[in-house]
Amino acid sequence: MTLHADLPFDQPGLAALLDSSDATAQDALGFGVIGFDDDGLVQRYNRFESQAAGLRAERLMGQDLFLAVAPCMNNFMVAQRFADARADHAALDDTINYVLTLRMRPTKVRLRLLYQPGANLAYVLVQRS
Amino acid sequence: MSAGAGQPDDQDVAHDYESLLQFLYLAPVGLVQLAADGGIQMLNPVSAQLLMPLSRDGELTNLFEALGPVAPDLRLQCSAFAAPQGQVCDAMRLYVHADDRNGGPQVLSLSMLKLGADRLMAVLTDVTMQDRRERQLRKTDAWLNAIMTNITDYALVSLDRQGRVESWNESIERVTGYAAAAIKGQHYARFYPDGATTEAQQLDRLREADENGWTLDEGLRLRADGSEFWGSAMISPLPARADETSAAPPRPSDGDPAYCMIIRDISDRRDVSENLRKATYSDHLTGLSNRRAFFEAADLELKRRQKAVRPVALLVIDADHFKAINDRHGHPGGDAVLAHLAQTMRRVCRQVDVLARIGGEEFAIILPSVGQDDALAIAERLRAEVHRTPATYAQQAIAYSISIGVAVMDDTLDGFDGLIKRADEALYAAKRRGRNQVAVWAPPPAEQP
Repeated sequence: MTLHADLPFDQPGLAALLDSSDATAQDALGFGVIGFDDDGLVQRYNRFESQAAGLRAERLMGQDLFLAVAPCMNNFMVAQRFADARADHAALDDTINYVLTLRMRPTKVRLRLLYQPGANLAYVLVQRS
Repeated sequence: MSAGAGQPDDQDVAHDYESLLQFLYLAPVGLVQLAADGGIQMLNPVSAQLLMPLSRDGELTNLFEALGPVAPDLRLQCSAFAAPQGQVCDAMRLYVHADDRNGGPQVLSLSMLKLGADRLMAVLTDVTMQDRRERQLRKTDAWLNAIMTNITDYALVSLDRQGRVESWNESIERVTGYAAAAIKGQHYARFYPDGATTEAQQLDRLREADENGWTLDEGLRLRADGSEFWGSAMISPLPARADETSAAPPRPSDGDPAYCMIIRDISDRRDVSENLRKATYSDHLTGLSNRRAFFEAADLELKRRQKAVRPVALLVIDADHFKAINDRHGHPGGDAVLAHLAQTMRRVCRQVDVLARIGGEEFAIILPSVGQDDALAIAERLRAEVHRTPATYAQQAIAYSISIGVAVMDDTLDGFDGLIKRADEALYAAKRRGRNQVAVWAPPPAEQP
C-alpha cells in the first residue's frame, strides 16, 4: 500500500494504514514514524525522523526504543502508556505535546501514540509543532 | 602534498558526527547547557525524560522555570555565584515526589557548573533508589551512634505498656532532676517540652519499638525545673517474662514494666548534629523544613496513621500577589515577606507540627493528630495573624496576605500526593474567592444518575 506524502498527522485510522504499509512507503510521510514490536524493538524509523535526529535508520533497527533510541520518552507520559495499553489489551490513540532533544536542541513536538491489540507494530508519530 | 591519508574525508566526519550524536542521545545522565537566565540551549534525551513530567506548560525553554516547583532557590543560587567559573552546586537532591503510581523518579540529583558569564551546565540524574537506601542507612547510623558514643551520663527508665514511668531510680534524678514522687506513674511525655509531641506520637514510638526492637529520637528534653537539654532517647521492649509452665506468654498487666528507655544528655554534640540537620533538611531562606524533610515527615506520619488511625491535617499556604510584591519591593523585599511568613507560622504552630517551604512562595504545614475543625481554626489564626502584622524591609512595612487550603487525610486517599492535591484544590478555591482567606477541601457534588 502506498502512502501520500501529505497524509495528515491526525488522520483517523492511521494505525491501520501504517500497519499495512512498508518502510519505503512510510519514508514519504511529512512527519516522523517510529514503529516498534511487542518487545519494544525498533522496526521502523522513517526518513523524516532519521533526518531530524541526525541518525540513519540502520543504526537503530532492532534496538530497544525506550532504552537505546529515545530515552527521553522513557517515562509515564509515553513509555508507560504503551506498557499499560499492552497489559490491558486496549487500543491507544492519543496525541500529546512533548519536547524532544533532536540534535540536543529542545524541540516542541506533538507525539501521537498508536497501539492496536493484535497489530504487528506500535507507533510513535512525531510532528514539529 | 595532496589531500591524503591524514585528512579525514567528509564521509568520516559525517560518520563521527553521527556517532557523537548517538553518544549524547544515549548518555545515561541528563545534560543541559543553559544561559545565565536559565534559558535552555542544548539538552540530551535523559534530561527531557526527567524534566518533562515536571514541566507545567509542556515546554522546556528555561531550566530554572522547569525546576521551579522543586528547586525554588536555584535561580538565586546561580545568580549569587560570583566567581567567573566553578561549581554552583554539587549533587543537590531535588524532591519531586511524583505520583507513586506513575512510577517516575521521586528524587533527582542536580549538579550545576558555571562555565562563563552566560553559560552554565547542569547534570541531572535519577537517584530515587539511592536515596531510599541512604535513608535506611541513616537510621542504622543513628542507632550505632546511640550505642557507640561515649556515654557521660544517662537515665535508665522503665515504662509500662502505656508509656508511664514504672519505677524510679537515681539515674533519673541525676539526668532529669525528678524525684520519685514527681515522676512515677507519669507518662514519659513529661520529659518533652510542651507541644513537642502528641499522645498518639508517643504510643507510636512504643509500637515502633515493639515492631523493630527499638526506636530512637533526638531533640529538646525538659528537666524537672523546666530547664531544657538536648537529649537522645532510645526505647526498647523488655523481653516478656518467661513462664515455665504455660506455652503462651502471660499477658502483662498494665502496670508491669514493658519497655526500657534510655535518655542521654547529648547537649555537647547538639551543635554538630543540628548543623548537619539544618544543611540537609532546612530551607536556606526561611529556616523551615525543605521539601526533602517535608516529604519524609509526611511519609512517616502516614505510615503511623496506617497502624493506628488518627487525624492528619495538611495546610497549603500561598502568599497572595507575591509577584506584585517582588515587582514593587524587589527580590530582597519579597524574601523579607517569606521570612516573615515563616516566623508567623512558627508562632502559631506547635513544635510537633511540620512547617515547610515547598515552593517559591508556597508553604505547607502537616498537623499530626489534628482534625478538620481544629485545622481550620489554626489556618484562620495564621491568616488573621499575617493580615494583622506586616513584614518590614528597609524600614518599610510591607502588608501582605495569604490564602490557605485545608485538607484532612481520610481512607479514600491512598497516599500523601492525594492529600496535597486536595489541599491545593482548596487553596485555589480560596484564591478564586478573592484571596486572604481559608478554604477547606470539599468532595465534588455527587453525579446525578
